[in-house]
Amino acid sequence: MSEPFEPKIVAFVCTYCTYAGADLAGTSRLKYPPNVRIVRLPCTGRISPMFILKAFQKGADGVLVSGCHPGDCHFDHGNYHARRRWTAFNALLQFTGVPEERVKFSWISAAEGIKFAELIESITEEIRTAGPFEQYHKLIAETGSAASV
Amino acid sequence: MSIQEQYRSRAKELLREGTVKMVIGYGAGTTPLRRRPIFITSPDDADRLVLDAACRTNLAGYLLREGLLADQKSVAVFLTPDGVRTINILAAESQLATEQVIVLGFQIDGENARQLEGTRVADFSGIIAERKKKRKEQPSHEVARKLEQMTSVERFAFWEGEFSRCIKCYACRAACPMCWCRRCVVDNNQPQWVNTSSHTLGNLEWNLVRAFHLAGRCVECGNCSEACPVNIPLHLLNRRMTEEVLTAFDYYPGADEHQEPVLASFRKDDPETFIL
Repeated sequence: MSEPFEPKIVAFVCTYCTYAGADLAGTSRLKYPPNVRIVRLPCTGRISPMFILKAFQKGADGVLVSGCHPGDCHFDHGNYHARRRWTAFNALLQFTGVPEERVKFSWISAAEGIKFAELIESITEEIRTAGPFEQYHKLIAETGSAASV
Repeated sequence: MSIQEQYRSRAKELLREGTVKMVIGYGAGTTPLRRRPIFITSPDDADRLVLDAACRTNLAGYLLREGLLADQKSVAVFLTPDGVRTINILAAESQLATEQVIVLGFQIDGENARQLEGTRVADFSGIIAERKKKRKEQPSHEVARKLEQMTSVERFAFWEGEFSRCIKCYACRAACPMCWCRRCVVDNNQPQWVNTSSHTLGNLEWNLVRAFHLAGRCVECGNCSEACPVNIPLHLLNRRMTEEVLTAFDYYPGADEHQEPVLASFRKDDPETFIL
């Protein structure tokens, strides 16, 4: 018997805002789906587009990238640089046919535990509806390595 | 006097005077419609230079050959306006000093090569500003428009088909004047970001990474598509990136030698419609 599909989502978050926001969601006892695997990084400026590709390469069905709101960066302007990079990379992903719902970007501050929980809820639901990222998984299977996170 | 004759004598003069130590230009290729880059150091060889509508390769990348500019001497090079933009970008990225570059400017209009006035890259800023305006009005590539109409599944399938032919020869990288990294990200094996085998997955990753690294740097010279042995429409990816930085950040690469790279700068009011 096959189990119902549970999406695997990787979230790349900055430690000062979104990670703290996720922490707040936890300490506030807010419930959100366990489908998300959080990877904590010093700043969104540290998040290379390679990370997103790597997550997909390892079988992720969706990726979330999140950090401090513009103007709130711990390093003053890391997120401004990240924003430009995302704009270009997001356009590239769309152009090559990676569906919009697979890669999400957001700003979540350390005070926004509720926003974090709600966002995880909504993207998990969206990807659950869309199903596994079959097109990508097929490419992974061709390389001979099993898709797993 | 034809433009070819004019430029031959100009090259001869530059070399004889000792203004430049080398002229990088086009010579006859293996077939009548092909041109190959030639590197001339003696005035007597200047008659080997060819300049016509078949001279389409962007020669700017040859300036970065190891040690070529290390002796502070100048080099003259045949460049189209896009070639001049390449020099500007390379200067902005600290890869060369524009004082060492003498431009032999030309432009191809249909079947003819036309002379462009100017000897230094700064002399071409007017032409480049004009090109930026034109680029904004230029419609997307026909195939790109078709792709935009497709669903993401169809688009993915299209690129999967294209990239499945890639043999990872890296000719695109070798031909690109912007790929000057001593160690390319794809050659990294710890961590290994990109699958190096030529499976479609690795090919997709490689081409995405390359397109991204060229965002706001590509001058659309076409060297990569020209070099690709399996005819992957790489220019579509690069053009998409150019259009993105142009519309989102009003950024046209290579405007002048002091232009900050688009992904190394920012404005506080950059657009962010897609961020939740």
